[in-house]
Amino acid sequence: MSVLEARDLTRRYGEMTTVADAGLSLEGGRITALLGPSGCGKSTLLRMIAGLERPDAGEVWAGGRLLSGPGVFVPPEQRDIGFVFQDYALFPHLSVEKNVAFGLAALKPAERKARTMEQLGRVRMADRRGDYPQALSGGEQQRVALARTLARQPAVVLLDEPFSGLDGRLKAEVREATLAALRASGAAALIVTHDAEEAMMMADDLALMRAGRILQTGTARDCYLDPASPEAARLLGDTVELRAERANGQAVTAFGRLPAQGEGPVLVVARPEAFRIAPADSAGAVDAQVTRVSFGGPFVLADVTAGGQCAVARIPLAQAPAVGERLRLRLEPSFCKVFEAR
Amino acid sequence: MTPAARPLARPGLRIEPLTVAAAIAAALALLPLVAVVVTALGPGADSLKWPTFWRYAATSAALAGMVAVGAGVLGTLAAWLVVMHRFPGRDLFAWALVLPLAAPAFAMAYGYADLFDVAGPIRTALRSALGADVPLETRSLPGAAMVLSLAFYPYVYLTLRAALVNQSVTALEAARSLGRTANGAFWAVTLPMARPAIAAGMALAVMETLADYGAVSFLGVQTLTTGVVRAWSVFGSTPEAARLALPLLGAAAVLMFVERLSRRNRMADTGAARWRPLPTQQLGPVGASLAILFCFGLIALGLLAPAGWLVWRGLTVEPETARLVASGIRALGLAIIAGVVTTALAAALALGAGQRRLLARAASLGYATPGAVMAVGLLAPAGFLWRGFHGAAEGVGVALALLILAYAARLMAAALEPVDAGLERVTPSMVRAARSLGQTATGAAMKVELPIARGALLTAALLVFIDVLKELPATLILRPFGFDTLAVMADYYAKDERLAQASWPSLAIVLIALPAVVWLTHRVGASRPGAPI
Repeated sequence: MSVLEARDLTRRYGEMTTVADAGLSLEGGRITALLGPSGCGKSTLLRMIAGLERPDAGEVWAGGRLLSGPGVFVPPEQRDIGFVFQDYALFPHLSVEKNVAFGLAALKPAERKARTMEQLGRVRMADRRGDYPQALSGGEQQRVALARTLARQPAVVLLDEPFSGLDGRLKAEVREATLAALRASGAAALIVTHDAEEAMMMADDLALMRAGRILQTGTARDCYLDPASPEAARLLGDTVELRAERANGQAVTAFGRLPAQGEGPVLVVARPEAFRIAPADSAGAVDAQVTRVSFGGPFVLADVTAGGQCAVARIPLAQAPAVGERLRLRLEPSFCKVFEAR
Repeated sequence: MTPAARPLARPGLRIEPLTVAAAIAAALALLPLVAVVVTALGPGADSLKWPTFWRYAATSAALAGMVAVGAGVLGTLAAWLVVMHRFPGRDLFAWALVLPLAAPAFAMAYGYADLFDVAGPIRTALRSALGADVPLETRSLPGAAMVLSLAFYPYVYLTLRAALVNQSVTALEAARSLGRTANGAFWAVTLPMARPAIAAGMALAVMETLADYGAVSFLGVQTLTTGVVRAWSVFGSTPEAARLALPLLGAAAVLMFVERLSRRNRMADTGAARWRPLPTQQLGPVGASLAILFCFGLIALGLLAPAGWLVWRGLTVEPETARLVASGIRALGLAIIAGVVTTALAAALALGAGQRRLLARAASLGYATPGAVMAVGLLAPAGFLWRGFHGAAEGVGVALALLILAYAARLMAAALEPVDAGLERVTPSMVRAARSLGQTATGAAMKVELPIARGALLTAALLVFIDVLKELPATLILRPFGFDTLAVMADYYAKDERLAQASWPSLAIVLIALPAVVWLTHRVGASRPGAPI
């Protein structure tokens, strides 16, 4: 049962359509990452769900309640949706404690205090309760912002690039703590990010967005291994795209054959790790020339050419080839997807 | 704060012409202040009685408090209406609300005192309607507070509007997502975050109140500033004037501190979110009518009603055209020269002081200091100078130079503000490039920094120009004998109860200042993204 559902949300600015017919649904206790390049409309979609921006078309439902639709617009303060802003938006004139208590005006003072301290304890900021936001580091500000949002126990939490202001090790640390807090809260969480690796690592579900449209939704694994379109595949990591002809239930690429139904030209989208070194005598494999090798730690990226086509293959370090070497390569079908050529 | 703003001016003992110029500018700004303290502590006829002193001080404090509240409330409401709402005429009101700054406070006092006189139109009408006199007396402490609140609310309006327009929108949105309504979020978050700006605006209004002489003296309210002028003009006692000026100097330091503090906190705004226009609320017919009524009422009360009444009164007499023209030319000349000199000194200070902000800080003290105090401070050095120059013509020259110096000392900080802002557009690498291409620090300033900031220099000069046009007490004290400006002429007629004649020079000031004020408000508005101008 989805806690929140957005249907066909559209937002236009003059001639430009920033978000077009975007839909997604969030479930309680699950973390969804909204992934897309900057400027694709992610933040606008998030803001429309929160009620900070009015959609030009489409609906937002929470449980059985229509939040936004034709003639209906529930203001943000009545939506039971929490929002963690990219710049945290802590109130500089209020202490950490008062920031967290800000959204709890409806509670009795004793209860408000208890809830505030509980949240501050969860993000390990209880001893900083008297400080003002200016005195906190970026990571601490993020924790306070999260505690402030979760204190209201919202059914849905929206996070707009919550880790973009942090760097390196701090980022990983803050991310783990944030995810733990979100899971503990039981809320449905939607995290906007432009970092594919981050999105896949932290989210149960992904929503892939490009140029104002949702391309695909589903679990991270499904999206990665079974992309709905070449665009969706590109959003989640490097791809090698090979033109191929299809016949007799097979698509024949310069780097090997893949099962494919139908006839006519296709576009094969392969992940770099789809390239496998095959035994010299194996059928369906092809000979390829290594033109360049770059070191990537546990693996190497090898530029390979076969049949006049180039590709970048990701090969385990133990099997790393040398420049100029000839390799026997095949394609692993589970890391490839065949699309109709357009 | 951008610590890299003036990277080439490192603290050190290298003698650079710019540094010397900056030091001279700061010294000129500080000279009158030091002289006041020295004169006050020195010997002199001890005619000042403590009860008199306390009465003056109490009146000043009470008036300042009332104007702070009055101007604070009016300015805050006006900014809140104009920035956070949409209603017909909003864009027009956004800049028209600044227009009362074109009218000198004394002109408004003339208009209101006459409008609310026992024999004036309002109380006459009320008498015939109610059958009894309603004692709405402008010549009283509350009356003066009302007039000055209407004259000075634009300071609060301007600083608060700028703060609201530049405020991070996400704070407001965060408050919404945490359960506050649009209006609730404004009062719980937006306004408290803008508190420093309101405090700064109120500090400016109080500074102007304490500095005012023309309006309060006409309305019969005896403040420290009227005491200073009186001690000098009636008793001829510079030491007594200086002693009365001391608390004003202290108040000036406190007010400047308040104003500076608010700037520091401005940086505390968390995060630098992408700029997004403030969400505004469309007002319904009732709300829009009330908003229009309030904004128009404020402009009407702050400018149109008193100025209109002065026009009406002025038309009943034949203006003394020859005297008016002569005074106008003198006032214009003084204002232009003071504008140029003060801006030049402020530019020298901005370029040469570099990171030695103490110099600029010291010069800022002058801004909060009433003109009367500045003038008294210059009377002692003037004594020495006058003894050196015997010829009458030379005497006039020296007096005018001192007068310009008093204006410059008082307004240098006001001019420094836009000049500093303009110079922020010069990146450190531009100056470095000029230096690597063979310019000295002074050469780079003349050929790169000042040309880039020339718009800001004009703004600074106009600010000074407007203030000098309206200035009265310093002019009164330091001007050469018989050298009347428009403000002096108005004051002379007003003291003589010839209000119709006083209205002409008062209106002339408004007419000259108005285009400059309009130009300035447009410029200030244009420099901020999304300001409703």
